[in-house]
Amino acid sequence: MKNVALISLSCLLLSSCSGVQSVLDTAGKDASVLAHLFWVLLVGAIVLWLLMNGLFFYVTRIEPRELSRRAAEALVIGGGIVFPFILLAGLIAYALSIMPDQRAAGDGVVVRVTGEQWWWRVEYDLGDGSAPIVSANEIRLPVDHRTEIKLGANKVIHSFWVPALAGKMDMFPGRETRMAVEPEKTGIFRGQCAEFCGESHALMAFQTVVLEQDEFEQWLERERQDAVQPTEAVPRQGEQLFVSEGCGACHTIRGTEAQGNLGPDLTHVGSRKSLGAGILPPTAEAFSNWTRHTGAIKPGVKMPSFAHLSDRQIEALGQYLEALK
Amino acid sequence: MRWFVKATLIWAAIGSVIAVAVVSLGLYNVSARQDHLPGVSWVLHTTYRNAVRLRAPDPSQVPDLSDTGLITLGREHYERACAFCHARPTETRSQTALSMLPVPPRMDDAVKDWEPNHLFWIVKNGVKMSGMPAWPSDKRDDDVWAVVAFLQSVKENTDAGTKPISQAPTPTSAPFDFEQKCATCHAADGLAFANKHIPRLDILSREYVEASLKAYRNGARQSGIMQEAASQLTDQQIDDFADFISSMDAQQTTAKTGENVDRGKELASRGEIKSGVPACSSCHGPKAAKKSPYYPQLAGQSRTYIEQQLKLFKEEKRGGTQRQNLMHQSVDGLNPDDISALAAYYSSLNPTSDN
Repeated sequence: MKNVALISLSCLLLSSCSGVQSVLDTAGKDASVLAHLFWVLLVGAIVLWLLMNGLFFYVTRIEPRELSRRAAEALVIGGGIVFPFILLAGLIAYALSIMPDQRAAGDGVVVRVTGEQWWWRVEYDLGDGSAPIVSANEIRLPVDHRTEIKLGANKVIHSFWVPALAGKMDMFPGRETRMAVEPEKTGIFRGQCAEFCGESHALMAFQTVVLEQDEFEQWLERERQDAVQPTEAVPRQGEQLFVSEGCGACHTIRGTEAQGNLGPDLTHVGSRKSLGAGILPPTAEAFSNWTRHTGAIKPGVKMPSFAHLSDRQIEALGQYLEALK
Repeated sequence: MRWFVKATLIWAAIGSVIAVAVVSLGLYNVSARQDHLPGVSWVLHTTYRNAVRLRAPDPSQVPDLSDTGLITLGREHYERACAFCHARPTETRSQTALSMLPVPPRMDDAVKDWEPNHLFWIVKNGVKMSGMPAWPSDKRDDDVWAVVAFLQSVKENTDAGTKPISQAPTPTSAPFDFEQKCATCHAADGLAFANKHIPRLDILSREYVEASLKAYRNGARQSGIMQEAASQLTDQQIDDFADFISSMDAQQTTAKTGENVDRGKELASRGEIKSGVPACSSCHGPKAAKKSPYYPQLAGQSRTYIEQQLKLFKEEKRGGTQRQNLMHQSVDGLNPDDISALAAYYSSLNPTSDN
């Protein structure tokens, strides 16, 4: 019985090592180097632990006798100074040799991510002098390509971390930091703010969508376009409400009057994999709930609740936002 | 020693019996016809005067009271809320007011031996057990000063307190009560006799007026003056006023330019990421055609009024309609210079051409 419990507990613990936000279940070159480093250190530590305890066991239980002064000094100096020195120097040389690769620059599209409270401002700079393509709370990357990521923050420090793709990098107000990621698998990988940044820090996540190169380019081209005008009656009402209720004071929907830039760009928000920075599904119902209960869903959020609107109005807004594919 | 303790206890017992009898049997005559027992008036009055002096704000907090707009605003409120008991300057009052105990002092007498900071405290807090009520709103001090400004103008005998004559003829379509209840301050044409402390109404929508009057009536929006004016309005009256106000044609005012205006325009139309200020124009115009009628349009509104309202929002002293939380969030990043620039910008617009 006890064994069953132990086994299921270990399975439970191990299962948390896989999935969309795991440093061990890697999908990027930098993350797999780090995972490799982790395994090397872990195996090394286990070997050392076994050796040390084996030695203790040997001298206390199997061969408990006094060492000569010479042998004792050799053990202390050799095992306590020389051996750790060589081992740690070797490890440091290995770890340092990895760092330049981790810092290696990317090419092609530059993704600029700015940490806000509590969401991510995302801009794709094509490097051809055109205006950056603005998005939010989701990052799309081409597979097998090293993409440069430039990081900044507004007001407080955040940290950018997609564990399956690479190590983390802090984001500072007024200072640009950088990193690059090189995804090796397509799929969706979760990112999370890794520096406490206020009451909804834990609710500041995002999805990273890794696509084939041609799919990525098609997506980027779609993302560059203005919003599609809804055709059905209810979403159209939502579109009018979005303007008349003043949502454009903070949000941009390109191709409409809404040109605010305090909050996330919503031009193609319906095509994203999540809503509210990785915390809600992108359904009309979730959009409506969010509009009505912003502060309850994300404590301290800057967006005020629009609970004063009627249910019908809130539903229309939700359907409109969902239709912004 | 023992006889002393005994005597004290006996007297205490007799005293308690008398006290209980006076309270429970109604022996004390509370008639306002009977003056207080000898000495009691003196104790009460002296306590009152000393309490006011102790608690009044520092004289350095007194704002500029020579402002004519402030004085006339205070005078209209006095007329509505205070004159019954304290009389208009040089006029007599009703026998009912004179039959109160204590008799409310005539205003022109009462102001003589108080300084503005004392008057402020009395108007704001009222006086316990005297019939003098406290100011209807405990959050706002700025409109208390309007009444103090009027009292001070009477004390100093300046003619700033005299009533201006409205140039605008009252439209015949005005509801019955509008002239009595609204037009004395806001004017029949809604332009408030160009008093910068009073908002103009001709640019407001039916929905906003209705929601705001209801917010004043139920205390969600604070103002001692407007809460007094709106507290007894019926739904029907509110409907009538809202209909009438929304039927007013927005009056043309000359557009102005200036440095502060440009800064205000930039902030109002684009907002500012750094300070977290959203674009005011998305709700408050100009170009209001597609905006919700529940947002007040501000083009051409009084500069002083806008500035004051923004300050009140910022100090969390102003509520409003159901949409008030939007403003509380929006003003968070504004500094005093921003507020002044926004007020300069919106007041500079011509509501007839910029919308």
